[in-house]
Amino acid sequence: MGLGVVLGTAATVAAPQALSYISPAAYAAAADTYRQLNLFGDVFDKIRNDYVERPDDAKLIEAAINGMLASLDPHSSYMDARAFKDMQVQTKGEFGGLGIEVTQEDGLIKVVTPIDDTPAAKAGILSGDVITAIDDTQTQGLTLDQAVEKMRGAINSSVKLKVVRGPKKEVKDFTIMRDLIRVQSVRSHVEDGDVGYIRVTQFTEQTADGLKAAMQKLKSEVPGDKFKGYILDLRNNPGGLLDQSIDVVNSFVDRGEIVSTRGRTPDETQRFDAHPGGDLSGGKPLVVLINGGSASASEIVAGALQDHKRATLIGTRSFGKGSVQTIMPLGQEGALRLTTARYYTPSGRSIQAKGIDPDYKVLEDVPDDLKGKDDMKGEASLKGHLANGQEDTSASQAYVPPDEKGDKQLTAAMNLLEHGVKPVETTAAKADTAPKPDAVKAAAAKPDAPAPSAPSGAGKPN
Amino acid sequence: MKKGLTYFAVGILAGVAVAGASEGALRAAGANTGVALFADVFNKVRDNYAEKPNDDKLIRGAIDGMLASLDPHSTYFDPKALEDFQKSMKGEEFGGLGLEVMMEDGLVKVVSPIDDTPAARAGLMSGDLVTGIDDTAVKGMTLKEAVDKMRGPAKSSVRLLIERGANKDSKEYTIVREIIHVQSVRSHVEGGDIGYIRITQFNQEAYDGVRKAFDHFRADPGSAKIKGYILDLRNNPGGLLNQAVEITNAFVDSGEIVSTRGRNADQQQRYSARPGVNLSQGKPLVVLINGGSASASEIVSGALQDLRRATLIGTRSFGKGSVQTILPLGENGALKLTTARYYTPSDRSIQATGIDPDITVLEKIPADLKGKVSSLGEASLFGHLKNGSEEEKGSDAYVPPNKDKDTQLQAAISLLHGAKPASLQKPATTVTSQ
Repeated sequence: MGLGVVLGTAATVAAPQALSYISPAAYAAAADTYRQLNLFGDVFDKIRNDYVERPDDAKLIEAAINGMLASLDPHSSYMDARAFKDMQVQTKGEFGGLGIEVTQEDGLIKVVTPIDDTPAAKAGILSGDVITAIDDTQTQGLTLDQAVEKMRGAINSSVKLKVVRGPKKEVKDFTIMRDLIRVQSVRSHVEDGDVGYIRVTQFTEQTADGLKAAMQKLKSEVPGDKFKGYILDLRNNPGGLLDQSIDVVNSFVDRGEIVSTRGRTPDETQRFDAHPGGDLSGGKPLVVLINGGSASASEIVAGALQDHKRATLIGTRSFGKGSVQTIMPLGQEGALRLTTARYYTPSGRSIQAKGIDPDYKVLEDVPDDLKGKDDMKGEASLKGHLANGQEDTSASQAYVPPDEKGDKQLTAAMNLLEHGVKPVETTAAKADTAPKPDAVKAAAAKPDAPAPSAPSGAGKPN
Repeated sequence: MKKGLTYFAVGILAGVAVAGASEGALRAAGANTGVALFADVFNKVRDNYAEKPNDDKLIRGAIDGMLASLDPHSTYFDPKALEDFQKSMKGEEFGGLGLEVMMEDGLVKVVSPIDDTPAARAGLMSGDLVTGIDDTAVKGMTLKEAVDKMRGPAKSSVRLLIERGANKDSKEYTIVREIIHVQSVRSHVEGGDIGYIRITQFNQEAYDGVRKAFDHFRADPGSAKIKGYILDLRNNPGGLLNQAVEITNAFVDSGEIVSTRGRNADQQQRYSARPGVNLSQGKPLVVLINGGSASASEIVSGALQDLRRATLIGTRSFGKGSVQTILPLGENGALKLTTARYYTPSDRSIQATGIDPDITVLEKIPADLKGKVSSLGEASLFGHLKNGSEEEKGSDAYVPPNKDKDTQLQAAISLLHGAKPASLQKPATTVTSQ
């Protein structure tokens, strides 16, 4: 029973069809597949019938799917309904909520900061407030995810928060109406009066629009003749949506190929070109900052701008994720995130497991307490990653100093744009090659996994 | 980082058709939505993955993932692994050289040549490093790969490149393989009056080995002279249930030995001693256990403890209280699946708790091995079956190579020679390595 029967039915439907137009060899392959699926069904049935405890079928299947996907590469995975929803929120970059960034400290839900111009800020929630109850449910015992989930909800619905504030532990009750909260994936400011600095923290559905708005704003703040150029900061940006990364590149170039993706067969190749008129940069000089935490969509942007000789790349070697995942919904049960293609920069190179070398390698000074924790082992050291000839398994620095003054990569970018001073490459080459896994988590406050947590990385917005 | 590297857009592959026919049929026939979901994902991977996937590997990954979600002892054997497993249960009859080897710093090191095998006759020695096998460098191989290369049909020959001693003298040996019979039972007479029996694993020949050991004791020094027995189960990882039952029966006349219980009440089975097959004549018995004594070893020691037939000396046992069944999968190998828990005669489950010895005696662990010879036990295995709240982790599993320094063995001998149990526990006051 179980899969045996199900697949049996499938095979009798599929086989004659297959026979009609494919070779005997392919038919043999189909028969082999049938044998393989039968084996799976057989094992599944035996577990269900004979295991010492009654197994949870759904858990078994999920473990099977995860095991199957894990055998492919580190980026293919199964998302259950909940994880799928979280991912959609994350890529959309907006949700119904209050606009608080929260973190968990000693089991308590603590406000990192209310986001400007959101219901939370307007209601008077303050940094450091401890949220003790949400809609009369105690937060003690809730995970951060559960608390965030409770605070989010439909726009115009209301939520009650009980907050403990300050050393006197003053208790305050708030009733706040939820609104549409946009996660800022783009932040910008004028640096030193003459350089437009733009930081992209991840590529969500809001990113291209956010970038355009930022560029307009910067142009309005600095007169054209004084404007020395742009800095696009992609450090520790783990990636995101492909179309957004293409759009971002197009805001700096007016023509030419931006990226191509290639699937298993040649007919799956897709080229993405710049649309004329998309360039908003007025040809001003551009520096892109990258480091070991710049991955995926970040590498598409950096790679394209480097190949076009449109930008000077400063920082450390990027992560090296050269594959594209497609989200395939699975009915009500979540979705499959499957690696479906590799991408290639305009010059035809794949950065998979290699990363992009900056034009000028500049290392940051890492504080003693973070030394050894600041490096990112890239794609090449992930188990089961797609192979790509000569790979680079060494770690690359992924630390960004919290204070701009101590930020040597940023300073190098400024010197280049303002004074035409070429950066002095850091020669202490070994300094950034100490292999340290899980580095990014410890490296300052940069999120490696922007589970719905873009703004500062210190906590979760809700 | 893995999680943070986000996927690209939905619909990037909008133009790629999914294998409609089979998928649709699977869905339609989906009496079990879980299985339909699996088939759906399988088909999507086959059709859309960036590279042509290997179907065998996909299914293998799925099966391994599914079994790993159950407990640490349920596994899939492909046909080759099944064959190896069956061989080891049969008493390791394979064509080979007769070397016990281990991996040390990426090199294959000879633990010892087994007496009366081609390796021993050729003059291989403990501590030799095997650096080449048939002109292939060993460096980079796994232990299993090296062992597979050394094994082969009887009468075929194999060339070994060996490095020996501090000078790293290189020497080449050409050795003809033979059928190697690994003995799971070794015995000798200790001090003229104690029958010492060591069982290394409960394979199909274990009970026969024990019976032969008793034959041997009867002949020399003779039953009258034997004061008692030592059954050494230290670092014995287990094996076949029926062998554990038979071996327990060699020391008791009556009573339940073990019971196993599956998911349903009707799956309970009791194993009781048959009268008339007790070989031990009621003489005192000490069982040695440690953190490496698991499964079938725990059935034997648990039964002998509950039946008050033996005094257990050593350290707490591993704590594997489950039974696996080999379920054949035709030409595709077999499934080793946890199908039951077992209970000692007093109805206790030792799952994730282990058996505490009656007298805890610790070995002195050499400085260079400290921290490396303690077994973490079942309770620390990821996904182990739960057993209430009282779980126990970590127990020493070191046995000194020199028996004069083997404190647990010496305690057993003293006890059988009449020492008071309290006097044996002194070593326990030394610092433990847990």
